[in-house]
Amino acid sequence: MEPHPVIDVQSLRKQYGEHVVLDDVTLQVAEGEVAAVIGPSGAGKSTMLRCLNLLEKPDGGRFRVQDTTIDASAPIRPKDVKQLRRSLGMVFQSFNLFPHLTVLRNVALPQERVLGRSRAEAEARGMELLERVGLADKPAQYPSRCSGGQQQRIAIARALALDPEVMLFDEPTSSLDPELGLEVLAVMRELATEGMTMVVVTHEMQFARDVSDHLIVMAHGGIIEQGKPEQIFSDPHHARTRRFLRAVLDR
Amino acid sequence: MTVLSEWGTYFPQLLQGLLVSLRLAAISLGVGIPIGLALAIANGSGGRVVRSVAVVLVEIGRGMPALVMLQLVYFGLPSLGVSFASFTAAALGLTLTTAAYTSEIIRGGLQSVPAGEVEAAEALNMSRFDTLRFIVIPQGMRVAVPSLMGFSILIFQGTALAYTIALPELLATAYSIGSSTFRYLSVLTLAGFMYVAITVPMSMLTERVELRLSRHL
Repeated sequence: MEPHPVIDVQSLRKQYGEHVVLDDVTLQVAEGEVAAVIGPSGAGKSTMLRCLNLLEKPDGGRFRVQDTTIDASAPIRPKDVKQLRRSLGMVFQSFNLFPHLTVLRNVALPQERVLGRSRAEAEARGMELLERVGLADKPAQYPSRCSGGQQQRIAIARALALDPEVMLFDEPTSSLDPELGLEVLAVMRELATEGMTMVVVTHEMQFARDVSDHLIVMAHGGIIEQGKPEQIFSDPHHARTRRFLRAVLDR
Repeated sequence: MTVLSEWGTYFPQLLQGLLVSLRLAAISLGVGIPIGLALAIANGSGGRVVRSVAVVLVEIGRGMPALVMLQLVYFGLPSLGVSFASFTAAALGLTLTTAAYTSEIIRGGLQSVPAGEVEAAEALNMSRFDTLRFIVIPQGMRVAVPSLMGFSILIFQGTALAYTIALPELLATAYSIGSSTFRYLSVLTLAGFMYVAITVPMSMLTERVELRLSRHL
């Protein structure tokens, strides 16, 4: 691992009332690395990811993304939130496109408002990205006219358009048919090959095994095991990991 | 004299009254709905103080009958040294009622925008103001439009209340014709039809708009 990781999380904790959903989560992600986060539902995977861009406010610990450090014990300044989110792109399980805007406007509007690009500039960049995710023929469509796989690829283009340094994926294929999920995974593979730093919460074991460089196994709000995917898949140390892998692989 | 020729005589005068009613409704809605939007936003995303003020205004505006509101503005406020012409008083009263009611309609519309979209905008680093302006309000207002049009019909009918503060709108005009000719049945029937001539097409339009707006959703 590189000496100065892009993401450095130290003892992150999150609780809802008495219920602790994240406990003492510590991890690093190096530049250009693809980290896959797997584990049973309710393990805190999505919560961990959502804490990284402060869609959830952590209750303890601290983390750093590039040059922005967030310390849960201190009040979080709006300026830091902006700066943090500048370097992070996020893709959701439910796509969350803006249904009243065309595909191209979905990709262009955030660039105009957040980066101050002109409409022409933003739409040119938008077209470039739509082409890259295989949707060059869709700019004038509305999202509801697109399949789930297409919608998720639009959402990826929308996030990429803001030039993030890290992409966060929260179960990007979980609400898709297996076949449509493949289109999305193909785009993600390509991104990984191009050297994008990615953190992917996923149930796609194939993707985790083949594409990720770093596998993180979570259960009960904590990381129970992390390391090289091939090593964990072939020889998991933790009994819970073994049970989980058996359940998802031998079906 | 047949009813029809009678109506022919009343019509020009009643038309003047109808125009006053329409102008009153247009001003009350044109000013009241934007205030309703502001109250809805204050109610949904403002701080605690702003929200409390908005809630109080809305509850008073909805709780107090529009008739009482008009009377209060026209007959009540002069005791405090503030007096208005009857048109201004009527517009003020109906604007307050409109703002209060439409804020609830609009709030329902804004709340119908999925939280995931707001979260996505947040993750994309869009400001709260931009999220409201480009994501929440355009979609929320679209949802609210049919109900707002329905409410507009009610406010148009509500302009008849201004009859009580001596505004020469449609009902007052009809009433004054009736009191000089004693042909109340005839003139009030015509006035009633003139209200209907506005509200029925409006209802039909509302239905069409409702259909059109549900296209992309």
